[in-house]
Amino acid sequence: VKMRWILIAYAAISILGLMIMLSRENVYVVIALIIGFLLLGHRELWSLIRYRRLPVIDERVKNNLTSAMRLTGSFFFIASIVLILLLRFNVFRDTPTGLIISGQLVVLGIVYLVGYHYYDRVQPNLGERATHWLKICLITAGLSLSTIALAITLHNLVSYLFGVEEAFFFILGLLMAPAVLAVSLLGSLTIFIRGLFGPTGQGEIQ
Amino acid sequence: VKTRMKEYRARAGLTQEKLAEIVGVRRETIIFLEKGKYNPSLKLAYSIARALDASIEGIFIFDDEQI
Repeated sequence: VKMRWILIAYAAISILGLMIMLSRENVYVVIALIIGFLLLGHRELWSLIRYRRLPVIDERVKNNLTSAMRLTGSFFFIASIVLILLLRFNVFRDTPTGLIISGQLVVLGIVYLVGYHYYDRVQPNLGERATHWLKICLITAGLSLSTIALAITLHNLVSYLFGVEEAFFFILGLLMAPAVLAVSLLGSLTIFIRGLFGPTGQGEIQ
Repeated sequence: VKTRMKEYRARAGLTQEKLAEIVGVRRETIIFLEKGKYNPSLKLAYSIARALDASIEGIFIFDDEQI
């Protein structure tokens, strides 16, 4: 019952946000809110259309929702800090603020969706070993992404300070780290998909 | 947790859908429980045991090493 009220409150806040943004003619945010709403509530909407009732929110679903929301919250916190820093250094010069906010909203919806499916299907389907490899792949992806940013900054710094075209950080930031990033992302995606379409919960014969 | 839920459910003549309805969970949750891929709360384990007319320890077999 509590979870239902949370969903109703979420829908009401979304509609309110939608109306405010519409009145301010901020079309990007309105589109993002609708996409975000569809991504977050697709199961509930589908159940309402098909069965004319909200799906049962049992303890397993509740745990998965809580974990996914926690993940999305952490992502929102980190993404906001990064976004503020990027805005502070004027990285998005001519990009409308509405477009930036809407991009963040859509990404949040996607993070929630991926998170929910991870806790709902992927994690139970994967063994300990596969889960361990998924963690390694994701950590490697995160580290290589940070390495790209760091290497580019260091390359520019060294080139500026010494007046020479620095090669090591250039190769690291533009060749090696992106290659590691691509491999680790591909690995994560492969393990994730394997878990998503694993044996559990796929139309079991009763 | 290893489980004998499927066996007990078949004995009780219940479908996954029906059992899910009785204990107030989704059918998917019953599937996860039967495959031993979800550890139920004590409340849910009790509801299932009552619906299947069995004891909790008869349905769910706890591995001492995992506790």
